[in-house]
Amino acid sequence: MFPVFAEVPAYPLVFVVFWGAAVFFGLVMARHLRVFAAAQASGPNPLADIPARTLGLIRYAFIQVKMFKDPRAGIMHFGIFWGFVLLTIGTADIVTGGIIQTILSLPFDGLIWAAISAMQNVVAVITLAFIVWAFERRLISKPARLTYNWDALTILLMIGGVVGTELLAQAFEFAAYGDKPGAFIAALLAIPLRNLDPGWLQAIFAILWWAHIAIVAAFLCFLPFSKHLHVATAFPNIYFRKLAPRGELPAMDLEAEDATFGVRTLADLGWKDMLDGFTCTECGRCQQACPAWNTGKPLNPKHFIMGIREMSVEAEHGLPLIPNSAIVRDTYGLDDTIKAATMAKPIVDDAIPFDAVWDCVTCGACVEACPVLIEHVDKIIGLRRNLVLEDSRFPAELNGAFRNMEGVGNPWGQPPASRLDWTKGLSFEVPIVADVAAAGKLGELDVLYWVGCAAAFDERNRKVARAFATCLDAAGLNFAVLGQEESCTGDPARRMGNDYVYQMLASANVDTLNRYRMGEKTIVTACPHCFNSIGNEYGQLGGNFRVIHHSAFLRELLADGRLRVIDDGAAPRKSVTLHDSCYMARYNNVVAEPRDVLGAVPGLDLVEMDKNGKNTFCCGAGGGRMWMEETRGTRINAARTDQALSTGASTVATECPFCMTMMKDGLEAAEGNAGGEVRAIDIAELLAESLAPKELAGRQLPVLQ
Amino acid sequence: MHIVVLTKPVPDPAAAAERLGPDHRLDRAASPAVVNANDEYALEAALKLVEASGGEITLLTMAPAGGADTMRKALAMGATRGIQVTDPVLAGSDVRSTAAVLAAALGELTFDLVLAGADTSDGGGGVVPAGIAALLRLPYLSNAARIEPDAGSGRVKVRRITPTGYDVLEAPMPALIVCTQALGEPRYPSLKGIMAARSKEIAARALADLGSDPSGLGGAASTTTVLETRRPPARGATTVVRGTPGEGAAAIVNFLATRRII
Repeated sequence: MFPVFAEVPAYPLVFVVFWGAAVFFGLVMARHLRVFAAAQASGPNPLADIPARTLGLIRYAFIQVKMFKDPRAGIMHFGIFWGFVLLTIGTADIVTGGIIQTILSLPFDGLIWAAISAMQNVVAVITLAFIVWAFERRLISKPARLTYNWDALTILLMIGGVVGTELLAQAFEFAAYGDKPGAFIAALLAIPLRNLDPGWLQAIFAILWWAHIAIVAAFLCFLPFSKHLHVATAFPNIYFRKLAPRGELPAMDLEAEDATFGVRTLADLGWKDMLDGFTCTECGRCQQACPAWNTGKPLNPKHFIMGIREMSVEAEHGLPLIPNSAIVRDTYGLDDTIKAATMAKPIVDDAIPFDAVWDCVTCGACVEACPVLIEHVDKIIGLRRNLVLEDSRFPAELNGAFRNMEGVGNPWGQPPASRLDWTKGLSFEVPIVADVAAAGKLGELDVLYWVGCAAAFDERNRKVARAFATCLDAAGLNFAVLGQEESCTGDPARRMGNDYVYQMLASANVDTLNRYRMGEKTIVTACPHCFNSIGNEYGQLGGNFRVIHHSAFLRELLADGRLRVIDDGAAPRKSVTLHDSCYMARYNNVVAEPRDVLGAVPGLDLVEMDKNGKNTFCCGAGGGRMWMEETRGTRINAARTDQALSTGASTVATECPFCMTMMKDGLEAAEGNAGGEVRAIDIAELLAESLAPKELAGRQLPVLQ
Repeated sequence: MHIVVLTKPVPDPAAAAERLGPDHRLDRAASPAVVNANDEYALEAALKLVEASGGEITLLTMAPAGGADTMRKALAMGATRGIQVTDPVLAGSDVRSTAAVLAAALGELTFDLVLAGADTSDGGGGVVPAGIAALLRLPYLSNAARIEPDAGSGRVKVRRITPTGYDVLEAPMPALIVCTQALGEPRYPSLKGIMAARSKEIAARALADLGSDPSGLGGAASTTTVLETRRPPARGATTVVRGTPGEGAAAIVNFLATRRII
């Protein structure tokens, strides 16, 4: 009946063994989905953005670009993944009665199937080699980020077993019954076996063949309970990834009656959040990248995601594999639905400790590192939202920051009347938008300079504002600032979970900017956090603005020849390292711009830190951490300062006012910088120092090449 | 238990925009208003008492009409309702007048305790609560660091901070207590609290509603007059001490010792 598998004893049993396991797999997966269904309906629309999502699937699931950030692990994983996929053709053929083989053997005298068999032989050997490598990592070299348990070893043994038994079974089959075309490695292996007793050969073949099927079936039964479930869940997880800008937190309706604000329990999570939990493979790339974990704090992004998964699994307890209908439940008085108590359990202090929720700097290093595109940060903000908006439960220091933002529109609690103090002593006037509007000259405005609270109130950052304004003036631009009409963008409040204060501040800013029709202008800011809010988040509140970071803007001015530097070769050479801001490099892909600005400054030699660009390491001030005490572990800015000092650079260039404060403090406190020679300087300051005199840079003058 | 907490809208100290008009009266339009910080401590103490043993909190203020917006912030912390006495006659009231009006408003209510902050950050008189207690003949317990009412005996025990330690005072209720910051940081209102505060009642009272005779009240009847105001002299230059913690400590000790501060 199945000529292809004539030599296999009891072949039809395959249908029972494999398809039985497959049905079991399907039922357990469906049980996971029942918990998803109990969660908030929120989640991406499965029918939208199909091209972008499909491209993402190819890029992240099939090419696995993120895996290659760790090239060794990347190659190993790629080898096993594709080996497994290609070998699945053989398995699929076995469990379908040889239908694939039969069909593919029809044209070209079976050449196609022979080629596939040859390919499979080669792939099997390569895959086995990669599996040996994987064992070496788990048993001998042991990278710190991995979780070591029997689960992973069992999975590896199974994969090795599936591949190994298939190849060996083929070798014994050939020895016992004669070679088949294509499978040349099996044929080679069969040569020394031919001398054995044919009865033994047949028996060993039968055992190996059935062992292969048994392991495949066992794999299917084990998989849904294993961390290795990602082989099934990574695809949907990647497909349904967040497509909105990474810096755009989910919108929040604060007027919603009876709503839970933020995330308190499993039920408040979206199904995609739970899918994240079931997709985590405990590879630990997130914890390896996390600045909080790296400085000895309780936050571990991996444990958080696995914690959510464990809570989801717990919610499944007592659910039968095959759901009972309502009639059956009522008739027999069955209580086999999801227990309300498990869905109502708070996530904080279960999947993640309270302190850890507040350790997050929202730098997004975990999100960037995750090969299967898990979103950690949005969930942590969800938890903060609930703690702040419903329970007023947050580190005591935040009380002041919240009140200051609410009361005087900036977290420092400085009087709004001092917002323009940074302009004092400048050799030129800094125009105020209200005055420009009153004079009817808004149309002539080239650019609005959004100063931000840090540059307006912090002594050190005021110098940056002065340097940047000097650049704008030197470029002959018509620029203006909002002055007292500017307030905090609300970013710190939002990242600290206080969307109420965020929306209050942000709505007011949107109104102000719209009143001056700034949607038609360009807004430039030297603050990555302002940049991210205005550019990525104000759209939720009806504010659509074109905002540009000062690094990109200065690069443009240099490229246009509007800004010129004096390069007489006299500038002494000095080495500089650039500390990338998370919200520029990682969140908004601004990596080359600040480097190009530094490249234009005469005498600067850029030396990179190991963690640079999109892999930058946070200064420790993001996510509102600027206003919290850092009491747990060591200081993040000290860790980053050490990384900067180890480059040997004499200057640490920054592009963010918070980074400036943290790096300045870090450098002043660092033992490796005893004389305080290494200083933090903003890219605008470095550029302003070497600008040609104004009259040569002004656009009024003929361009001199 | 019914607790009345006295609150006052004051210019936000953080805004540093406090300004006086030509008559030396506060220009309320110049600065955003907040609930007087010391009153928030009193409210926090009241909230804790009510949370522990049940009851209601009424906020009482004498303020211009706009004061109701500020009161919503205090209601968001969890108070039950508010009463605002507003009357054009009352502009420019001195402490005597203020105490008389608030006493008249309290006369309409039944309560177990009146809690007040130590003073306000704008006027800074600090005698209104004492005036109210005198007018209503209420026991007056000041500088409270702990408040322990006992509904059974109808008495309240207060730990009163003194320069050398503390006294424990006891008085029958109703009583008036002046609170200190030792009672604990005011809570940050939750969003639910803010939303609930929107629909809470703030009863407006004019002098006529209280049955008070306006002739002895308000700016016209003020027994004190501000003749002149002056800014404090600017602070001298800041001395920044740099060096190791040890050097820094030595320099600070030296600084204080040469000025005979220590």
